[in-house]
Amino acid sequence: MSERSVSRQKQEKRWYDVLAPEQFDREELGQTPADESEKVLGRTIETTLGDLQNDASENNTKLKFKINEVASDTAYTEFIKHELTRDYLRSLVRRGSSKIEAYVTVLTTDDYRVQIQPVALTTKSADESQEKAIRREMIDIVEEAGTERTFEELIDSIVEGRLSSAIYNEAKTIYPLRRVEIQKTTLEARPEEVAAEEETSVDVDEEDVEVDE
Amino acid sequence: MADEKWGIAHVHASFNNTIITITDQTGAETLAKSSGGTVVKQNRDEASPYAAMQMAEEVAEDVQAQGIEGVHVRVRGPGGNQQTNPGPGAQATIRALARAGLEIGRIEDVTPIPHDGTRGPKNAGF
Repeated sequence: MSERSVSRQKQEKRWYDVLAPEQFDREELGQTPADESEKVLGRTIETTLGDLQNDASENNTKLKFKINEVASDTAYTEFIKHELTRDYLRSLVRRGSSKIEAYVTVLTTDDYRVQIQPVALTTKSADESQEKAIRREMIDIVEEAGTERTFEELIDSIVEGRLSSAIYNEAKTIYPLRRVEIQKTTLEARPEEVAAEEETSVDVDEEDVEVDE
Repeated sequence: MADEKWGIAHVHASFNNTIITITDQTGAETLAKSSGGTVVKQNRDEASPYAAMQMAEEVAEDVQAQGIEGVHVRVRGPGGNQQTNPGPGAQATIRALARAGLEIGRIEDVTPIPHDGTRGPKNAGF
């Protein structure tokens, strides 16, 4: 069985080393086999923050990287996604307390469009008005942080938890909070794609739009 | 992780079958795969822990020949609007993979959870 399965076709495939972006010290993420180097492009690889930094306490954060450049036998990646593990997020949710989520899309100073999802958990069930106030605060802080940082700085502050603790310190005066996390961050568009969108978009005057009355 | 190659073991454990697929770390290239029908004769035994054990042993041998040292495991049940718990084959698979000498890394549950969709077959009768 095993002799047949390691077939000639498989032996022709080369293994490429996948490396993390410079921001994460070009750490080795893993290997992937392919017969042609173009086929490696666009593959995604997922690791936890703990694996990347050899710190087992950070295993609740998943990071996703996409291969965008291939050299002879190494592949280089870019950051595309950050996410909390499902079991960790579930363990934060308790009965009789509120979970406040927000979805914020920001454009960084170097023209990356990123969607950030902060989540706050309270100690006791909060009122609607308090929830709204906390959500407002979260969105304001994330938008401010996003628009004045570069993509790399923003990812850094999210991954290291500085952004979530900033939200915690601001919003805890509204209602006692148990925990604030950034549950998900997705890269939505790169500078080139944002520029292309702006080129194709057309300004519409108010007079041009017909409104049924 | 010097020169050790790792893979991902995708284990789809439903109540009718267990499907094991071992891929590289990107999930793009399949290294070995197996399902219940390859080891048992009777359809109803496809989901049994015994079948899962046999499959896992075969698959483990196969990938070890290809130089894989350890695997991260992704278990899933049927999910969607069906049951979200993995079937009886899941636990047996992980055990057998470990016993076959593969290192087990992270174990993650990747059962698809609907963000609301169609009505499930269980409560279809209103």
